[in-house]
Amino acid sequence: MIISVILIPFIAGILIPVIPFKKRWQKEIFLETAVVANSVLVWYLLLHHSDSTFLLAHFTGNLNISFRVDGMSMVFAGLVSFLWPFATLYAFEYMTREKHENVFFLFYTLTYGVTLGIAFAANLLTMYFFYELLTLVTVPLVMHTLTREAVLASRKYLYYSLGGAAFAFIGLIMVIVYGSTTDFILGGVFDPAKIAGHTDVLLLIYVMAFMGFGVKAAVCPLNSWLPQAGVAPTPVTALLHAVAVVKAGAFAILRLTYYSFGTDFLRGTWAQTVVMIVVMFTIVYGCSRAVKETHLKRRLAYSTISNLSYILFGAVIMTPLGLAGALTHLVFHALMKICSFFCAGAIMHQTDRHYVHQLNGLGYKMPCIFGIFTISALALMGVPGLAGFVSKWNLAQAAVDSGNPLAWGGIACLLISALLTAIYMLTMVVRAFFPGKDFDYSTVAEAKDPNWKMLLPLFVFTLCIIGFGLYSQPIVNFFNDVAGGGV
Amino acid sequence: MYPILLSILFPILAGLFLLIRYRTPLSSRAGTAKRKTLVILTGSFLIITVLLTVIAIFTAKEGFTLFYLTETLPVYFRIDKAGTLFSLLAVVVLLCAGFFSFEYMKHEERESRYYGFYLLLFGVLNALCFAGNLITFYLFFELLTLTSTPLVLHTGSKEAVMAGLKYLFYSLCGAYTALFGIYFLYKNSVTLAFTAGGVLKASAIAEHGGFLLAVAFVMILGFGVKAGMFPMHAWLPAAHPVAPAPASAVLSAMIVKAGVLAIIRVVTMFGRDFLRNTWMQTAWICLTLITVFMGSLLAYREPVLKKRLAYSTVSQLSYILFGLAVMNEEALAGSLLHVLAHGFVKAALFLCAGAIIYKTGKTRVEEMRGIGREMPLTMWCFTIASLGLIGIPPTGGFISKWYLAIGSLKSGLPVLAVLGPIVLLVSALLTAGYLLPLTINGFFPGANFDYDKLQKKEPCKLMTVPILILTVLSVLVGIFPDGIAPVLALAGL
Repeated sequence: MIISVILIPFIAGILIPVIPFKKRWQKEIFLETAVVANSVLVWYLLLHHSDSTFLLAHFTGNLNISFRVDGMSMVFAGLVSFLWPFATLYAFEYMTREKHENVFFLFYTLTYGVTLGIAFAANLLTMYFFYELLTLVTVPLVMHTLTREAVLASRKYLYYSLGGAAFAFIGLIMVIVYGSTTDFILGGVFDPAKIAGHTDVLLLIYVMAFMGFGVKAAVCPLNSWLPQAGVAPTPVTALLHAVAVVKAGAFAILRLTYYSFGTDFLRGTWAQTVVMIVVMFTIVYGCSRAVKETHLKRRLAYSTISNLSYILFGAVIMTPLGLAGALTHLVFHALMKICSFFCAGAIMHQTDRHYVHQLNGLGYKMPCIFGIFTISALALMGVPGLAGFVSKWNLAQAAVDSGNPLAWGGIACLLISALLTAIYMLTMVVRAFFPGKDFDYSTVAEAKDPNWKMLLPLFVFTLCIIGFGLYSQPIVNFFNDVAGGGV
Repeated sequence: MYPILLSILFPILAGLFLLIRYRTPLSSRAGTAKRKTLVILTGSFLIITVLLTVIAIFTAKEGFTLFYLTETLPVYFRIDKAGTLFSLLAVVVLLCAGFFSFEYMKHEERESRYYGFYLLLFGVLNALCFAGNLITFYLFFELLTLTSTPLVLHTGSKEAVMAGLKYLFYSLCGAYTALFGIYFLYKNSVTLAFTAGGVLKASAIAEHGGFLLAVAFVMILGFGVKAGMFPMHAWLPAAHPVAPAPASAVLSAMIVKAGVLAIIRVVTMFGRDFLRNTWMQTAWICLTLITVFMGSLLAYREPVLKKRLAYSTVSQLSYILFGLAVMNEEALAGSLLHVLAHGFVKAALFLCAGAIIYKTGKTRVEEMRGIGREMPLTMWCFTIASLGLIGIPPTGGFISKWYLAIGSLKSGLPVLAVLGPIVLLVSALLTAGYLLPLTINGFFPGANFDYDKLQKKEPCKLMTVPILILTVLSVLVGIFPDGIAPVLALAGL
């Protein structure tokens, strides 16, 4: 069952170039059906999960490829499978302007399977395997336009990711050597007898592995691939570079911290201090760069960098509340950011404008897009009543609760970042709706809202943002259960 | 439950309706008839909102929880005394300024957007006044910033956009600073509902009282941004003058008061006994006194009338904050009276300035020689309102400043107890210095003045009546301060 949800996207993806579709809509229906069916399957799996582990291949000793559904995988898989059908729908419309559709949809769908593989991985080795695979299947997507810029960006992405994975690999080895198992067990797997006397080395390795997985989560100073990778088509930047790929990095760090090394081992050590400082710096750094950036998608990419570190901030608090906060932001940020990216993509698709200063006066011409963009901006800022407030509240409460003064400083970073978020998001909104007294409206006469394939995903995500903002009790309870080991 | 909800939801829905219904600008030809409909619609919405609000204030006794954001964060409404006071002020100011705008906004574009956000703002203000816990309050505090920004931006000139953004970012910065405090307060308190006498856990005070004092100070600094407290006052003189005059009136008379209400709430939450006689009180009083003096001085030097009034707001608001910082009954009474007195006076003054701009286009003080001969009623109101701000009996400003001074002297704080009233007096002198020249030059332009150029320019009743009402109210506050005594029954705050 688990393996089938990973395989279906593979099969469907590979079939796209193979089947000779006569019309484009046939291909659309085929792909959408496959993706929706897979998502339904994933949700069925999540709701009827058993605790058993599915063993795919056994190498040697305790090394094996196996899958299991636990709390963390439910969160990540649930999120990804919810977003993917909508993103695919959006991609159909967006890709009408781009070439090499088949190749695009092939890899786009493959990525779905690989991401689910990361989510359902039952041990560190399996996760590592799919993590590498994720890099490989997404490189062609970044390269898609085949411009010089795109090739350079994808090369950079490849080197960064592989380099990071190498560091993470060292962490994997350490867990194999010093742990009782590589399986994910909440609280860590280190064997107290084995690690005696090696604490400092292990902490160093933890920091290295953190930075290694941190490449995908765009931790400063390893973040420069992400804004560059924005040359990819928007469905890729929105779903992969705001959700699937980067969140896989954050997910891996959460797994590493809470399920392999264990928080009891790490809490209060110098390693925690180091990674927390790195994360706090990234939070502010990402936002500041976003304020400076004038390219629409790159600005959002910098915003992603900052927001990913919110999640990591939750992770490095290293308490159950911290994990719950991290998961909350993992899910809510995905919704908010995919929303703002899809708006950016719609603007680019409809008007071919790529820079912030070109947005003047578009607000009245594309009221739906800019209305939704405004809501996602407010949510990212953390206005109460929208999803962002809840996740920030949970993160901040975790930080206050931890009693760690450095984490209190982290709250300040979160709030500085919120202010910067307001600056870089709302200036765009103000430009769109208040272009100035002498603005010539004839320059935007042709702009209009896109069709339903683009709007439907946006409306659904916006409803989610508002819904979770107003009533988040069940989902936050669920996150708390996951963090407490109850699921 | 329903009266409160209605008074909040009705204006918000009405505002949204206007924004969506009139989303394209009115064309000039078909505009006149449509404009009439728009004005009548807005007017009736305004009146209904006012009625609903008044009904809510006088009928809703019980608090209620609307829903839960998360398990521990209820959105909770309850009308208490402070809320009633601010809400009544809001009703009067927004009603007067609203009707004033029907005439004034004729010479601005995109009126419907203005009215839409005006109504939204009304709803949010109501919600802010009726909020029963800090989270609900914070929610609407942010919304207040967001819904009032379009009013500042309205004219769309480069200056207005820059000022609007400045307002937005200063306010958000303040709100986030306050939020930082809320995170810690939540952890160390029994509840976030407003409770007289404070909500801090006794164990928390014993363990890290010093840290909590710092948290209180941070929150006051944060919410103080909205109230234009030094050092975060710079947005106020930038943002208030660029808005259309009735919006400036609402901003200066009411929206900045949201910061005051916030600080009242913060002081309540921490408990006055916890904050009194600490370093935090001293620091806070010093900041307010600096603001009082600096605001007056800057206003005195400012040649543009609306900017001058904005600086005056900076100064006058810190009178109120000074009273709150002194933290005794008399000073608090003075503060609350000054909330009313300043609200009415400043709204009247800004509307007068608006009437002058609307009729003559003059913005600078030195251009306004002889204006009293042209617009006698407006300038009479301006004069009486000015006297109120200076604090000459029997106006509202006198009685509030009297209480403030008494409270300060009774507080027994070293140095500050005496320094406070002195600064207030000096500032009153400066206030006279920056407001009265308008009256004097307006009515007595001097011997070399060309009287033949004067024309009757009195604005229509839609403008003069709101000004008149506000002026009369500002005097009535002074003559019958006991009339609002039930509202000011102070123990509840």
